Amino acid sequence: MLFSRTRLVLGLQPRFVLAPRANSIRSALVAHRLISNSSCSHAQHQHDHRQTLEHLSSKIDERHSHNAHILPAEVDAQGNELNPYRHGPSALDKAVHLFFFTEIIRGMWIVLENFFRPPYTIMYPFEKGPLSPRFRGEHALRRYPTGEERCIACKLCEAICPAQAITIESEARLDGSRKTTKYDIDMTKCIYCGFCQEACPVDAIVETQNQEFSVENREELLYNKEKLLANGDRAEAEIAANLHSDHVYR
Amino acid sequence: MVSLHRTIRSIQRVGFREWWRQMQYICDAKSGTYIGKDQFGNRYYENRNGEEEIPGRHRWVDLAQHDYNATQVPPEWHSWISHIRTEPPTNDAVMQNLTPPWKAPYVENLTGTRGAYKPYNTVRPKYNAWEPKIKARA
Repeated sequence: MLFSRTRLVLGLQPRFVLAPRANSIRSALVAHRLISNSSCSHAQHQHDHRQTLEHLSSKIDERHSHNAHILPAEVDAQGNELNPYRHGPSALDKAVHLFFFTEIIRGMWIVLENFFRPPYTIMYPFEKGPLSPRFRGEHALRRYPTGEERCIACKLCEAICPAQAITIESEARLDGSRKTTKYDIDMTKCIYCGFCQEACPVDAIVETQNQEFSVENREELLYNKEKLLANGDRAEAEIAANLHSDHVYR
Repeated sequence: MVSLHRTIRSIQRVGFREWWRQMQYICDAKSGTYIGKDQFGNRYYENRNGEEEIPGRHRWVDLAQHDYNATQVPPEWHSWISHIRTEPPTNDAVMQNLTPPWKAPYVENLTGTRGAYKPYNTVRPKYNAWEPKIKARA
């Protein structure tokens, strides 16, 4: 490639040098020929212009053709051909073609491989993704193993709740212990930060690992004390097992 | 379309009838060891062979009801199928010891039915409508 380009430059230079000298004679001859040949006489004024363009050939056709780089074979004294790859495409051309062609094949191969592999999709109601024992889902109020409710109406959860979703009212019971009469959580306000279970001194309010409590009406998310206690009564084994598995880190 | 080899292997293991049931519900041919059954008849399976099941899909439940949803799994099995507990509740000593005698029966999420939770006030109302009291005339 480099060789042919130098030849091109060298070949063009003498013509540029010679052109001004031969111009007058040659232009006269060409003019005579054009006048005699052409039927259209008003094209005469283009003679000189066309003549100069003739010398300024860019040789673009030669360079675009695939045979441009073919040179006469170079043979050494013993008759062995030197540089036998001269006639073929360059190493860069071959590498580019190979890369772009095999890229398509390789992409399609990955598709084909995954077609025969077991799917990664977790089929949700039947299979579930992993949850932490500290997962914060639906709330529940717990009881002591005796069945006595844990909440002592200290209202720390109500105080710490950043969304102010908890409302508590309390009374003293006949046996003198203070218990809540109203423990409402507005689950539409709740941001599930877990501060209430962090604040609770008796582990009464907890967030269970249940995340499937979607409802059809908004009012069903306004939980009262009975609902929260019922949640705790159902899921007590799971809640207690989770607290047990995490108690060493708390 | 799942792997053909995997499908054929699962059919050979679980039988054609069970495979048909799986295709109606899980939409995938799966095979594994039977772990247990809860009080609602849901059956739980596990296959911990990483070559056969993608990790994360190795525990699954065959829900008993046709009109299935995720909340039909009771809490003990929920913690097993969500990979919270290693052992299933049938031989999880911690879970069994911490199960209280006053445990309430589990009900699924009843929203949209007549059993849905409806909020109510748990305290006496602070002000009531005026009920005029008329003294009897002498």
